[in-house]
Amino acid sequence: MRYLRWSFFVVFWTFVVAFLHYTLPQTDIVRIVNTYEERQELGDWTRIFWSVPDTQSEGLINRDVQFIQTVRANGRPMVYRNEDTGWGWPPYYKFDTANLYTEANDGISTRENPKWHAIRHYGWRNEFLSIFPNAVAIWEVEGPDVRIIPWVNILILAVLAALYWAIRVRWLRFRRNRIDPTLEEITDSWEAAGDAVDDRRNRIRRWLDTWRAN
Amino acid sequence: MLGALRILLMVFVVLTVIYVCLSLYSRAARRDKLEAEWDEGGIETPRETFVQDGLREYDTSLRRKLILGVYVVPITLICLIIYLTNFA
Repeated sequence: MRYLRWSFFVVFWTFVVAFLHYTLPQTDIVRIVNTYEERQELGDWTRIFWSVPDTQSEGLINRDVQFIQTVRANGRPMVYRNEDTGWGWPPYYKFDTANLYTEANDGISTRENPKWHAIRHYGWRNEFLSIFPNAVAIWEVEGPDVRIIPWVNILILAVLAALYWAIRVRWLRFRRNRIDPTLEEITDSWEAAGDAVDDRRNRIRRWLDTWRAN
Repeated sequence: MLGALRILLMVFVVLTVIYVCLSLYSRAARRDKLEAEWDEGGIETPRETFVQDGLREYDTSLRRKLILGVYVVPITLICLIIYLTNFA
């Protein structure tokens, strides 16, 4: 029972952390290398890792998606998709995909003469699933080692932690005051019932024993 | 634009539920407080009249209107995010 409880908690919190890690914005420092557009098949379950820019695209099983190819400050490649999130989840309300594409193209630079950009995105890059993080904003920065403090994430996580704490404390209090006493009552009456049954059984046994003695 | 209507409707429904719950809770809390105040003693008017007067005062108070923030804050937040993402 204890193992079941623990595995439930581990799975649950893994999902929570993964969800937040996917949804919350992150910022990378990159050098933009190129941009391209490619038709994507969206018919299988990895559909959940692509956006629904408008109501029409709900029914489409393939469509063109814009991509931004970059090299990160540590020299490793990273490719971002560039899609409207529209009014859907996650709530970035991004409608300026075409503008962002223009900015990205404007920011292309070579290895010899690099221009560094910060790129805000959400989502994951996974080579096996062919999924890409979605770029939300691009702006130029001074160099590859600028430090960007994630104020928005700090704020959101603090609010979530406060909410969690508030609900947990109330639940614990509710359990202590309402559920535990009731459970105790039920256990008590069960025990009382059990005692009564034992009593009766003993009486029958004693009566049977009177026969055996003879 | 249909998406906008859909999310607006959803947000409106959720916020209305929160708003109704919160305003009922707040009024009940105020009633409890008024009753406790009367029970402490020293008030001439009958208990029911005192509580009714207090609640009528509460109905026109700023505190009750602050609960409208349930609508104002999230919608402002959405507008802010839209502005920051697309136009800033």
